[in-house]
Amino acid sequence: MLKKILLPSILIILAYGFWVSPDFKEIAAGVSIFLFGMLTLEEGFKAFSGGTLEKILQKSTDKLHKSIGFGFVATAIMQSSSLVSVLTISFIGAGLIGLAQGIGIILGANIGTTTGAWLMAGFGLKVKISAYAMPMLVFGIILIFQKAKALKGIGYILAGLGFLFLGIHYMKDGFEAFKASVDLASLGVEGFKGLMIFIGIGILATVVMQSSHATIVLILAALSVGQISYENALALTIGANIGTTITAVIGSLSSNIAGKRLAGAHFIFNVVTAVVAVVFIDQIINIVAVISDSLGIAGDNHTLRLAVFDSFFKIMGVLMFIPFVDKLVSFLQKSLKPKAKNQTSTNTDEETVKYLNESVLELPATAMAAIIRETKHLYENSFEIIAHGLNLKRHNIISSMPLDEVIKDSYSHSVVDIDNFYNNRIKGIYGEIIDFSTRAQSDMQPDEIEILYKIKLANRDMVEAIKDTKQLQKNIFKYENSTNIDIKKQYDTMRIDLAELLRNINIIATTDEEDVIILLLSKSKVNMKKYDILTNGTLDDLIRKDLITNEMATSLMNDSSYAYNISKKLIEMASVTFANFNHEMLSLNEEMEISDDDIDLILNNKDT
Amino acid sequence: MGINKFIMQVKETLGLEDPKKATKKKSVKKLLKKLTTKKEHINKLLETKSDKKVSKDLKEELKIIICQIKNGNKILNKL
Repeated sequence: MLKKILLPSILIILAYGFWVSPDFKEIAAGVSIFLFGMLTLEEGFKAFSGGTLEKILQKSTDKLHKSIGFGFVATAIMQSSSLVSVLTISFIGAGLIGLAQGIGIILGANIGTTTGAWLMAGFGLKVKISAYAMPMLVFGIILIFQKAKALKGIGYILAGLGFLFLGIHYMKDGFEAFKASVDLASLGVEGFKGLMIFIGIGILATVVMQSSHATIVLILAALSVGQISYENALALTIGANIGTTITAVIGSLSSNIAGKRLAGAHFIFNVVTAVVAVVFIDQIINIVAVISDSLGIAGDNHTLRLAVFDSFFKIMGVLMFIPFVDKLVSFLQKSLKPKAKNQTSTNTDEETVKYLNESVLELPATAMAAIIRETKHLYENSFEIIAHGLNLKRHNIISSMPLDEVIKDSYSHSVVDIDNFYNNRIKGIYGEIIDFSTRAQSDMQPDEIEILYKIKLANRDMVEAIKDTKQLQKNIFKYENSTNIDIKKQYDTMRIDLAELLRNINIIATTDEEDVIILLLSKSKVNMKKYDILTNGTLDDLIRKDLITNEMATSLMNDSSYAYNISKKLIEMASVTFANFNHEMLSLNEEMEISDDDIDLILNNKDT
Repeated sequence: MGINKFIMQVKETLGLEDPKKATKKKSVKKLLKKLTTKKEHINKLLETKSDKKVSKDLKEELKIIICQIKNGNKILNKL
């Protein structure tokens, strides 16, 4: 209901304001151009986030001080803490960084936003900023129309900065003209009441503009022409700092639990800092005065003093929170718990995706990382179901237990319900991966789409391997305890071969050594052909010597085909899923793969 | 002269390599070094091992490694 009336109300109030005051119109246009500049700037930085930003983020967030430093630098460069927050949520959503690192980035981003106030107070209000805006806009727009991604990105950044400067110019001009007709300073309220009222206005303005940066620039523009008092400007700044967390909370609604926790941390940090600032406002004003005096800032230079206040207030908050980051993490983990089951599903046992959520769609790189992790999640479930289908225990396979002992320690005495397992732990996740990949690829480059296509095939391979296991398991149980030792031996061998393959794939999945991955993949391919009883003559031999019945021969022939297909699909899946995902490594895996001719030479004991 | 052709000529003149190719070359070289070490290790083992089955498996692994070294060298030559 509120949503429905909010937008029309804002539009009506603005329209009335424009009709009453052309100066208000100029200020509002300035804010709009400024916000548009921020959007354009964000678009530009996103164009460069295809690899570099992710690499820097992953390498520079392993320690808290590094995370804070990264958040500060990234926000100072991009001039948008919202973009840094959204990217951080996206990285947490994809599982690339943890909550503690994310909180560090947010703390740093809070300090990073103060650079905007310094730039505006020290430079933007003192020079004719629009003179810089025009050439930036012209060069920026020309570059936006270029095909090359990098040039386009630079174009967006230049145009974004141009719009920011132009917006500041209009805000400043608007307030100067406004001063002639209305004196807003006369509406100022003093004391604690004034503090609370202006904090409220700061919150509201930031929620409406979805940017604390824009609010602070607006405050500085108004303060520079004396339209608001210094004390009220301080309160507005505190309000803007609370208002910005609401943007982050809204942004996290589509995120997974980690994103929600980060937004929770952002909210707690900013609100607690604001409360401390309100309680100790007089002391803080005195400290800011001392710092400003020592920096040589004149007593009447309120804009620069506001920048000092903004920096002091945010740095104070960060220093206050650093010792409690671990406690904050555990508090958020306890209080914000993931939903136990997918509530939209009618099946309460159904397992859902872990890494796929709207927040990771922000960047192609995070979307790709999330899809790869989800594929590995599907692999873990597939591994379990295939192991149980072969009547093997998962932990025995991944141990160093001799394989002939692994097959003796059966998982169950009756046939496992693969359909039930498939419906609960495979089908939903597989469907989500395919659906999500289709949505994610719309923002991807051709080489990324190529990788994504291979990942989709890897997922399909897993599903097909499970379906083949289902076919195979009936006779595994039938002949496992058969009195015919020859048929029993064949099924035992089949299980040993598949257990060996699963063990090798588990090694591939858990190692970073590229030579081990490539060698085990090739070895598995050789084994697959070596163990195929149709080609190695075992089946013919058994039939010729009349060691098995016709029914057994038919079963064995069909089942060896299923076993061959399971091996083939799992090897193909592993070569894609565990290729340490960069494009070079994936193509290298393919090129290094040994050919069928090579396998024949190896098996026939000839020189390669 | 088109911009791409110009860039290619400048790269050729300065002896600069395509960064993607250079990364791949580096990866292949690293991989070949590891495979060669493994090959030497297996050769040493073959000299000492007398168990027939173990020796057969090692020989098979050695053949796979030789095959992969051959493939790796082919990739390097192409680059």
